Amino acid sequence: MNRKDELETRFGRAVDVLLGELRGDEELSLEFSGEDSVFLRFNEARVRQIGAVDKAELLLTYCRKGRTMRSSFAVSGEAGADAELAASALGRVRREASLLPEDPYQTLPATEGVSREVFAGSLPDAARLPEIVLGPAESLAAEGAAYVGIHTQGRVARGAANSRGACHWFETESFITDYSAYLANGKATKSLYAGRIWDGEEYGRRLAAERPRLAALALPPKILPPGEYRAWLAPEAFARIVPYFSWHGIGEREIREGESAWLALREGRKTLSPRFRLDQDFSLGLEPRFNELGEVAPESLALIGEGRLLDTLVSARSARQYGLSGNGAPEDEWLRSASVGAGELDERAALEAIGSGLYLSNLHYLNWSDFQSARVTGMTRYACFWVEGGKIAAPIGDMRFDESLYRLFGDKLVGLSRQRSPVVETSSYGRRALGGSLLPGILVEGLTFTL
Amino acid sequence: MSMDLRRLLEAATPPLAEWAGLRRVRLSGRAYHAKDGRFDRAFDGVDEGYMIEVLSGGQFGYAAFAGDAAFAGDAGLEGLAARAGAAGEKALVLARSAGGRGLHRFGASVRPATRLRWEGPRGKRAPLGADLLSSHAIDLTKALKVSDKVVQASAVLFLRDEETESVSTSGAEIFQRVQLLEFSIQAVARDGNLVQRRSANGPRGRINQGGMELIHIEAQLEDARRTGAEAVELLSATDCPTMTGDLVLAPDQMNLQIHESVGHPLELDRILGDERNFAGWSFVRLEDIGSLRYGSDLMNIVFDPGIAGEAASYGADDIGNPARREYIVKEGILMRALGSLESQERSGRPGVANQRAQGWWRAPIDRMANLNLEPGKDGFDDIVASVERGVFMSSNRSWSIDDRRNKFQFGCEYGRLIEEGQLGKIVRNPNYRGLSSSFWNSLYKVGDPSTFEVFGTPNCGKGEPGQIVTTGHASPVCAFRGVEIFGGEA
Repeated sequence: MNRKDELETRFGRAVDVLLGELRGDEELSLEFSGEDSVFLRFNEARVRQIGAVDKAELLLTYCRKGRTMRSSFAVSGEAGADAELAASALGRVRREASLLPEDPYQTLPATEGVSREVFAGSLPDAARLPEIVLGPAESLAAEGAAYVGIHTQGRVARGAANSRGACHWFETESFITDYSAYLANGKATKSLYAGRIWDGEEYGRRLAAERPRLAALALPPKILPPGEYRAWLAPEAFARIVPYFSWHGIGEREIREGESAWLALREGRKTLSPRFRLDQDFSLGLEPRFNELGEVAPESLALIGEGRLLDTLVSARSARQYGLSGNGAPEDEWLRSASVGAGELDERAALEAIGSGLYLSNLHYLNWSDFQSARVTGMTRYACFWVEGGKIAAPIGDMRFDESLYRLFGDKLVGLSRQRSPVVETSSYGRRALGGSLLPGILVEGLTFTL
Repeated sequence: MSMDLRRLLEAATPPLAEWAGLRRVRLSGRAYHAKDGRFDRAFDGVDEGYMIEVLSGGQFGYAAFAGDAAFAGDAGLEGLAARAGAAGEKALVLARSAGGRGLHRFGASVRPATRLRWEGPRGKRAPLGADLLSSHAIDLTKALKVSDKVVQASAVLFLRDEETESVSTSGAEIFQRVQLLEFSIQAVARDGNLVQRRSANGPRGRINQGGMELIHIEAQLEDARRTGAEAVELLSATDCPTMTGDLVLAPDQMNLQIHESVGHPLELDRILGDERNFAGWSFVRLEDIGSLRYGSDLMNIVFDPGIAGEAASYGADDIGNPARREYIVKEGILMRALGSLESQERSGRPGVANQRAQGWWRAPIDRMANLNLEPGKDGFDDIVASVERGVFMSSNRSWSIDDRRNKFQFGCEYGRLIEEGQLGKIVRNPNYRGLSSSFWNSLYKVGDPSTFEVFGTPNCGKGEPGQIVTTGHASPVCAFRGVEIFGGEA
């Protein structure tokens, strides 16, 4: 078998078996997730763990007579065993569904046609990964910086099909080298080299670019007292805040159920700066537009603009429950492919724009501290600097912020950069994630630090 | 021990391997969700697969693949063996690719030849069907809705069954099985612009090993009524005042406090820097082990894999190291870290049996398991009586800590003022912040066994690639002096 087609073949076979077994009034939605990955984990520019994972899973959503039951199983690629597993799962959902109460907001499969997107890549030879990835980092080690992180490569796929004829496939072959360089003083730079075509020279250039940043981090740190500071958040720092439009975010269900931090925005009790615009924009090309039901979201959806909530993410289930039109959101109504509008500031002149204040390259471990007031707490991390007179003066000791997002994107927002950067999703809990965001840097006045 | 697994290991072991081990993991579960008095969702799933690990030139390489032996059949077993063989070759190639670039030269001694059969607690009660479990979940949401002010009531019953079987070329044969129940209920109450949330012991804090005997219909309905009532009470409570005062934490918040500010900083792989690119490093250094005063004399933390019903009990970790109870912190002094055989060998420091993986598709790393604070001598009333001015807090709702696991800020769902030794009015949005390194030294009261409760978390995240595992944390009620306490609304 051609390995390049193998995940798609697994999906196709499972779809054929399951849809072929369906009886008269049964409906089925199928969601496939698969990957064929190699992981190289490193510390001190040396191999900590190295291995390969071939993993695929199929999730069935079965509907009959107003009842809904879901089931998942691992799809191995062994045709006979997978067919038996699929048949067993179907038998189980039939039995279980007959025992369940009626699903009051059952969403039947959508009829949304067929799509196929496959992005081939050119990746390093897996049998030489330590040499290819760690070899060029030896120069950093020679300068006293510990090279730490993970290189991931291989194919990732998502599929969706249903009993109404929808069938969608998205597959990408890609790599992510997610790394930090740590100085002996504990300060570090953090970077990401990601794409579909590995370019060893480009990787080398990126590693070389760490050196001036490390030199700045070697300066004695400035320990700042708690207080309010003017701060520039680089796109990677901003990306840590983006999930707060999803978790207790702008999904219709959480708003209706009182669990959204953006309730006051919805109800017109609070506004944001008219400078701040948030869209869902699949033209970024980082993830598929289809969801688990086979619905295809619009390529672009304006969510926040003119200081107001323009739209929410509405799943088919919420649409049914609240009498609305859905917009192709997945059932968890999580924001995908976030795009924040560009502003007027020049990213290259960020230090001048700060004047005196903080340059924050990254943030860490954010959480709602009070979601009613959209207050989020978290830490500064990696290369964060005190800026004076438009120049980097010193790295800072890491600080804790605690700030309302209504103020951060409201009266405290000074401006956004006109340049925007794609920030790729690197999560690998359970499976390698797809997606990412397109974000500018932002300048804020009076960011509140508490510890 | 399944003969099939031995045969598969033979098929998977490349001729040039110095050692090989095969781990089969089968994770299954079913969950019933209800919301606002109605069915919301039902799910079941099975996930079975294998990880072959091969040692060559001091480096382990691994390869993982799915496969369900029950559905393999004779022809399927042949296919499974062929894929195991291919995975073994791949693991060998990757191990050898490290050639001289390994962080440490490992030997088979870090994969003990343990022979063990271990099962967690499981009652004799017959399994309840989807009809009864989903209707119980629905009843729980009805019980939560104590008034019209409850705008959302939700309940989840999640039953899990986890089976792990390992064999190795050096003779390990391990079979372990646990069943788990997660019980989650939550009420969201609203009055005008004010919203408050209350759950049973924080998000997903109620997780225990066991089977159907953990479904206590009446007690759980009563829990739901109390939870709903407290959500509504919080609407008319005042906001938690800002003060520096004494902090009394319920065991369900100690669950989080131990996890974040003791467990994570003491993971030996973090101290060794493996996690610096993701979860972070530690304020604890290798040289601190054996001498650091981590907390007051009253602080006694144990790694205890043997508490029946606690979520992360087991007989051996995922590399086959038999698990034993060990003091991590004794009378405030750091005795050992949470480090596996691999980390122990790298650091030359003592550790525990804690190299664990989420499933067949992830390689084991240093994790917490059951990490508990031992009870002290004071009853709850004595603890409250010791407080001149402070706040009692329970049930976590917010958690954030720096990458060294030092500067933290945690929030709770429910608080009560304590003034002059008396529990006073309810306060909402209670939060506190501090430094791990000084916070535990301010521990001045540790509750007696009557205040001791067992909780845990099913979703502790760590590692590159990422992994989520279950941990258990048991603790009595505890009191801390001079803590920075504050409320909501910036």
